Amino acid sequence: MAPLALMQPLDSNAVEGVSRDEPAWLAELRTEWWSRVEADPWPTGAEEEWRRTSLDNLPRDGGLLLDAPVATYELDPRLAERGVIFSDLASAIWEHGDLVRAHLGRHETLSAQMPFWARSLAAWTGGTFLYVPKGVTMDVPLTARTTLPSGAYTYLPHTLVVVEEGASATLLEEVSSPDGQPVWFGGTADVRAGYGARLRYANLQRLGDEVWRIGAQRVEVGQDANVTTLNAEIGSAISKVGMDVRMTGKGGSSRLLGLLAAGDAQSIDFNSVQDLIGSHTTSDLLYLSALYGASHASFYGVTRVRPEAKQTSSYQECRNLLLSPNAGAEPIPVLEIETNDILRCGHGATAGAIDPVQRFYAQSRGMSAESAERMIVRGFFERVVAQIDSEPIKARVLDALAARIGSADEAAA
Amino acid sequence: MIDELEIRDLEVSIGQKKILKGLSLTVRVGEVHALMGPNGSGKTSLAYTLMGHPDYHVDAGSVTWRGEDLLSKKMTPDKRAQAGIFLAFQYPSAIPGVTVASFLRNIYNAVHHPKQPAADESDGAMPKYTGIPLAKFRKLMEEKMALLHMDPAVAARYVNEGFSGGEKKRLEMLQMAIINPTIAILDETDSGLDIDALRTVAEGINATLSPEMGVLMITHYQRMLNYVKPQFVHVLLDGRVVMSGGEELSHKLEANGYDWVREQVGLPSGVGDEVAEPVAEHV
Repeated sequence: MAPLALMQPLDSNAVEGVSRDEPAWLAELRTEWWSRVEADPWPTGAEEEWRRTSLDNLPRDGGLLLDAPVATYELDPRLAERGVIFSDLASAIWEHGDLVRAHLGRHETLSAQMPFWARSLAAWTGGTFLYVPKGVTMDVPLTARTTLPSGAYTYLPHTLVVVEEGASATLLEEVSSPDGQPVWFGGTADVRAGYGARLRYANLQRLGDEVWRIGAQRVEVGQDANVTTLNAEIGSAISKVGMDVRMTGKGGSSRLLGLLAAGDAQSIDFNSVQDLIGSHTTSDLLYLSALYGASHASFYGVTRVRPEAKQTSSYQECRNLLLSPNAGAEPIPVLEIETNDILRCGHGATAGAIDPVQRFYAQSRGMSAESAERMIVRGFFERVVAQIDSEPIKARVLDALAARIGSADEAAA
Repeated sequence: MIDELEIRDLEVSIGQKKILKGLSLTVRVGEVHALMGPNGSGKTSLAYTLMGHPDYHVDAGSVTWRGEDLLSKKMTPDKRAQAGIFLAFQYPSAIPGVTVASFLRNIYNAVHHPKQPAADESDGAMPKYTGIPLAKFRKLMEEKMALLHMDPAVAARYVNEGFSGGEKKRLEMLQMAIINPTIAILDETDSGLDIDALRTVAEGINATLSPEMGVLMITHYQRMLNYVKPQFVHVLLDGRVVMSGGEELSHKLEANGYDWVREQVGLPSGVGDEVAEPVAEHV
């Protein structure tokens, strides 16, 4: 197949083309979402969530990548026998059509991310499907690792994760791509944890230096469910991610962790809503950025405590370590508390350089200024790293971080 | 090569304030010196200057170590440490997220296996690890911790984070024992310790000291010197060493304070101790 045939401009024809050989329900679903694309306005830049990232230079000329790269999906056959499904989404629509149909594209997300959510649901060509049936628990983390091809294109994969009642799973999604390729990567994820479910969902982004990552994550935490998400953002030129965390079920809890390491002229811009809907819910967010060169990180985080959400506990904390005088950070926490009956709701936000006293202390012990800095940055990240339960995921994340901060872990003891 | 640290006519200022005003002192390997002086006399400034703290500006004078200029530009604090100089801080810094074990192994390697910069390191490629093997390091660390009566659990804690004053001082001594320097400068290692902690720390110092090490103990009080015996005692007043003697001088200072020294050297009463010394940590 000639490379040109693999791409089409992102329009209704492309959506039609993608769904040509697919089941009718999916073609309809894609058309429905494309109608949302046409109805929902493109961000103007006046929206609070879009004030810090301009989409003017988003690489849009490349056309939709039709021949999506497929990750290797390894699943213990015993888990497959118990009904766990772990595959690429495109295969799952044939092999588990009813199940995918029951869950795919059922929800909207934050209005700021809707244009991208809708495009992804209309025009996805890749992505992961993880389904864990009621009561099935697993210890070993699942990994979906994707390497994107070279070229200029638009790629809008969608990941669907459904962990049913009492089930548990750990998933690492890792995406990387070569440098120097102007790609619009619009990956989205729809993640749901049912009653009493336990989910660890880690996202490791190692995209090339000219990639625009415009992402959206929707996380729904059911009653007494326990969800931890981790976004480790290392690569890309521009990274703009919206996190929509819905604490719908009574007693659910979520931990939202972030490790951001950026350099050069990289820009990372997150917006989040921790939406406390159910009573007795807990949601704690901790995002740590190490910013080198002329990089910049913004975090616009909203904690919303609904009137009916009694006895909730929530926190958002955003710490930025500026490792160059040209690096900058803008953490903006917003608390919208609509009830008096809360246990805790707070925020902490800082941006600053390494304490020179700390650096001098380490240097006075023989460490060069550079290795002292690496060690301090690595220590700075430890508050999140220590919360990564899975050793293989921790190792992958540290390996990815080392590319940016240096191998600070040279002498772990 | 003479194994001595020679400080000659050293003048140092921090910001606009002159702190050291012509300090001279020589410490040879194998000797234990005590430098005593009231608050504000310049004790900590001397310690920081010797270690290369960037806030302390050397206006005049010289410091040589084994005949080499210690104050030269290329002698950054890490190079001084690698050359055998160690400073036990009065107020050691916390390093969040870095465990004591990891820190100690890093500093051991920094001093004993300084890494040759690899050509490809700028690409973020991982340099080959050439340091002490983990098992060997753990053994060394556990040995030294036992020497200082330290709880082995300290190894897993983050450096100085949530440490008591005594724990911090003990960790300083542990670092000294791990690095095994040639010149050790102990800045008020006795401060903030109760009598039991003082005894333990002092025992640790004595166990670490060797004829191959020179020591400069900086202290406000004599009590530390009951445990670690100095051969030489110096009095620091108004940024200068104004008097030197043997161990008996420390007892005299303990009993009579500093006023008689001032009188003898012609300094007005109270000069040099009326204001707290500016410490870089707080400016």
